[in-house]
This record gives sequence, structure tokens and C-alpha cells, in this order.
Amino acid sequence: MPALETSPAIHRTVVSDRREPAPGISVVGLYAPRLAGATRPGQFAMVVPPGGERAATALGIYEAQGDRISLMLVAVGPRTRELATLPLGAQLDLFGPLGNGFDLAALGDEVALVAGGVGLASLLLPARELLARGARVYLFYGARTAGALVDADLFAELGARVYVATDDGTLGWAGYVTDLLRETAMHFSGIAACGPSPMLRAVARVAADLGVRAQLSLEETFACGVGACWGCVVGLSRESAQAPRFPAPAPGETRDYVHARICKEGPVFWAHELRW
Amino acid sequence: MVENAASATGPSIATRIGKLDLPAPTLMGSGCYGSGEEYAPFVDLAGIGGIVLKSVTRFPRLGNAPPRLVATPSGLLNAIGLQNPGIDAYLENDVAKFAERPCAVIGSVAGFSVDDYAYVTERLAARDEIDAIELNISCPNVGSEGETFACDPGLAEQATRAARRVTAKTLIVKLSPNVTDIAAIARVVEAAGADALAVVNTVRGMAIDVETAKPRLGNTTGGLSGAAIRPIAVLAVWEVARAVKIPIVGQGGIENARDALEFILAGASAVSIGTGNFTDPRAPQTVADGLRSYLAERRIASLRDVVGKANPGFAGVR
Repeated sequence: MPALETSPAIHRTVVSDRREPAPGISVVGLYAPRLAGATRPGQFAMVVPPGGERAATALGIYEAQGDRISLMLVAVGPRTRELATLPLGAQLDLFGPLGNGFDLAALGDEVALVAGGVGLASLLLPARELLARGARVYLFYGARTAGALVDADLFAELGARVYVATDDGTLGWAGYVTDLLRETAMHFSGIAACGPSPMLRAVARVAADLGVRAQLSLEETFACGVGACWGCVVGLSRESAQAPRFPAPAPGETRDYVHARICKEGPVFWAHELRW
Repeated sequence: MVENAASATGPSIATRIGKLDLPAPTLMGSGCYGSGEEYAPFVDLAGIGGIVLKSVTRFPRLGNAPPRLVATPSGLLNAIGLQNPGIDAYLENDVAKFAERPCAVIGSVAGFSVDDYAYVTERLAARDEIDAIELNISCPNVGSEGETFACDPGLAEQATRAARRVTAKTLIVKLSPNVTDIAAIARVVEAAGADALAVVNTVRGMAIDVETAKPRLGNTTGGLSGAAIRPIAVLAVWEVARAVKIPIVGQGGIENARDALEFILAGASAVSIGTGNFTDPRAPQTVADGLRSYLAERRIASLRDVVGKANPGFAGVR
């Protein structure tokens, strides 16, 4: 995606609201006026652990409106449980916004958004901006079970058409959301997706089969989140404009890709440029 | 070097590493801080001692296949594999911008032969933007070759001597904790002409995914950093400080001033923060402020007065 001109900073925020739309899934609202104003669709922030001793946690910025942002998270380990149980009024330091978001202009006017689980968190801001400029938005939203499909109504209220899939068949299409996407055989001008890696790989295959270009927001463990440590990489075609500027390959190097940092060159990449 | 205004008003935390006078004893660890610009939005680089740049090698390196990181209890396991553009492109495209950094800039050199170390050190050290060289003879993530130099006294000596021959700038040699007798390696590296020692690089480790029954790192094995290795690193500094008279840069899981003080009291003249920046980018400021408070509370004028204070066998810094 084109590099965004952003000014990341450390933000001291305050927990303003919290809800648990499904067991284990939390949406934490934060009073963060400067961050809310600076965030572009698809960007993320690093959350400094309130108790220290652990690496900061990267989270996609879910909502960003007025003076408030929110983060959607699954409480799976000590870091996310700590965040999910912060009391209202607690301070939380974040640094961001980070990364290059989606290139919404390149997606056209008939856009499929594909979300797996809390990957949904990176797609609300794109949906809002696409709808605002008059695009038609179709949300394909998959989760393990009906109870884990959260906030689908929020997207519907904004004006997106929502199609859901559950692994266990408790709601909507029974099976993977990417199979649902393929089966609809609808025409899209572009696809934007966020979710676990196996789902994103499937989106890439479906997009190629449908002849549509897809932007994927990759999920990965980050250490620094700012491009300093080169710990979160993905294979990217040497020809991609997003590829880190590496001149001539080493003698004997035959691989046609480079390792791009997901946190810095991404987290959003064109599916057809990935070598993974 | 930019003099830190705050140090003039309270106790001094200034230190000296070889020919480098540092206003603060805080270096940012190689491979953890990029070239500094990545952290400039979050921390005042003028308040830190210096940045140790990511290691550069003779030829470009693609680095290891992902995954490259695994979070472990109180630690971080990594296997990046020295991804870098190679010395030619690095000199052409990257080094010029380091002149803008308001702190010391220390180049890091990695290699796979004695000749590599000499060649890359000579070319990098020739640049005015580079204030000193750290010799990375202890990367655990490039097969067996990289770390061999830090684990074999003969090779450690040869690599150090080769680099020493080609530069008069401060030469820091980074040692591995994955040895039986780190003091013995430290002695030969000192004798070969090192100006200072970085103690220590990461501790070798691995993690296995029990669901897939496969190693979790693309490289299979990795190097462990973070709070988990702090006691190992403090002991290494303690042992090295009894064996040599050149300054030591202590490192391994430092997140705050108390952590840094453990290394300093064991005999380190400076400390390096790596993984600690990933918890909170303000760590360098937190450490510097905490060191000043510690000294002020005890009416100690200078950090130099507490170097090695806990270590009766500390040989002193020459």
C-alpha cells in the first residue's frame, strides 16, 4: 500500500467504556482524542502493558470517532486478559497509529470485506469510509460459532450487506467464509480482508480465481511494531513497490522475493504480491 | 557528542567506553533499535548514550524464514538471521542519514570469516557518521557459523585482531553467553585489542508447538532475550569484570534503572537496552532518570563511583 504520512506518538489514554459482545471477546473504548484524529483505516497501535514485564501488544484500531477509539480483543493470554479487565477510568498508554492502512481508493465501488473472527476489528473504519464515498460494501464474516459473530449488526446499520458463516453451522453458511465468498460468485471490484493466516491464504486463492485483487491485513506477532527489529516478516515479490529497497541479491541468491516487515511495509499487502 | 543538560544539574551518569564519551550510559541494543529513526517519535534520542545499529555483513542477506519471533515467559525468542542489505548498499544508501542522530552511532559488523570482519569493519569505520564499531561475533541464528567466533578463543582473537588492525575507532566486541568460560574468551579478546566488551548476546533456545509437533521458529533454534536472561547476563558481567580491565557494556533484560544497576554494580560501565524497548519505548528515559535518582538519593556524585561496587574481584577499568 502507499506509505502513509503519519505522525505516531505515545498517547496516554483513559478507559471510557467496555463491553463484552461475546464470551472472551471485549471491546475496550478509550478517550484518545489525538489518536482518534490521526488514525487511518487499517492502522494499528501498540499497547504498553500496564503491569510492565511483557512486550507491548499490537491491536488493530477498531473504531476512531470524535475523541474516542476502541480496540477489539480476544482474551487468550495474560496480556489480553489484563487489557480486557481494565476498570473504567484506568490509564492505558499506546503508541501509534502505526503501519500503512488499506488503499481504499484502489478497491473500487463494489467491495467485499472478508473478516475472520476479531479480524473484523480492522474492517470497520474501511467500511465506514467506503460507504461514505458511495461504494457498495459486502461484509463476509466468519467465526467458529454464532455466539462469536459480534457486531455484524453494526456493519448492517452502516449500510453494508452482511453475509455470515460459522464453522459449526449455527448461523449462516456452514463452513468457511472464504468458501461462501467463492460460492456467491458475485462481482467485486476489490477485496479487503483481515483474519487468521489460513483464512487470508484462502482469500488470496479465491481472489485469484475470481480475477479480483485483494488487500490482506496480516496478523503476526510483533516485537517492536515500528520496523526496528525485523521480527515480523513475510515474503514479498522483489518487484513490489512495498518491498524494502534491497539492491542486488547476494551472489548465488535465486529467490525472487524479499522479507518485508509486516508492521512497517504492511500490515496490509496486495495478495498477488505476497510470496508465502 | 551532545552534552545532556540534565546531567549538569544533578549527579553525573556520563561514562566512557573506549574513546567514546557518553552523556548517558544507555546504549540501544543492536537489532532492536533499527537505526534509531524508528523510535524518534517516541523518545528523545539526545537523552540516550548511543545506538548500536543493526548488524551489517559483506553480502546482502535475506534473513531467516518466518516465524522469527516467539514470546516466552518473561522473554522473547528470536531468529532474524542477520537480514541486511550488505555493506555496499548500506554505505551507499543508509549511512549518510546517521549523521543526523543526536547521540553516538555505533556500527555493528557481523561475518562468516576473519576476512569478512576485517573487510566490513574497515569500510564501515572509515565513515565519519560512525563513531565506533561493535563486532558481532555472537549471533546464534545463522547456522553454526556466526556464533563460532565467540565460542572459540582462537577465532574470537583472530576476528578481534583483524578488526583492530583496520580501525582506530572504539572497538566493542560482543560476547556470547553460550560458552563454558566467558572470562577466558574476554581475556583473549582484550589482549587482541578490543576497547570494550558487550556482555552478552542472546542465550540459545527453542520452542516447540505441541499441536503441530514442530519447532515454532522458522530457523528451528533462536536466541532468548528479555527479563528471563537477566540473571545469566549479570553473572556473565560479574565474571568478565574480574578478568579484564576494559569497560563492559552490560546487557540482557534491562527494563528499568534497578535492572541496569545490577549490571553496573557487577562491573559494567554502561548498559544496553534491547527487548526492553519493546515493552515501552520510554525505557531509555526511565533508566536514565532512575539512575540519576538512585545516585541523588545516596549523594553519590557520579555513576562511575558505583561501577563494580558489588563485585570484590572487579579488576577496575583502565
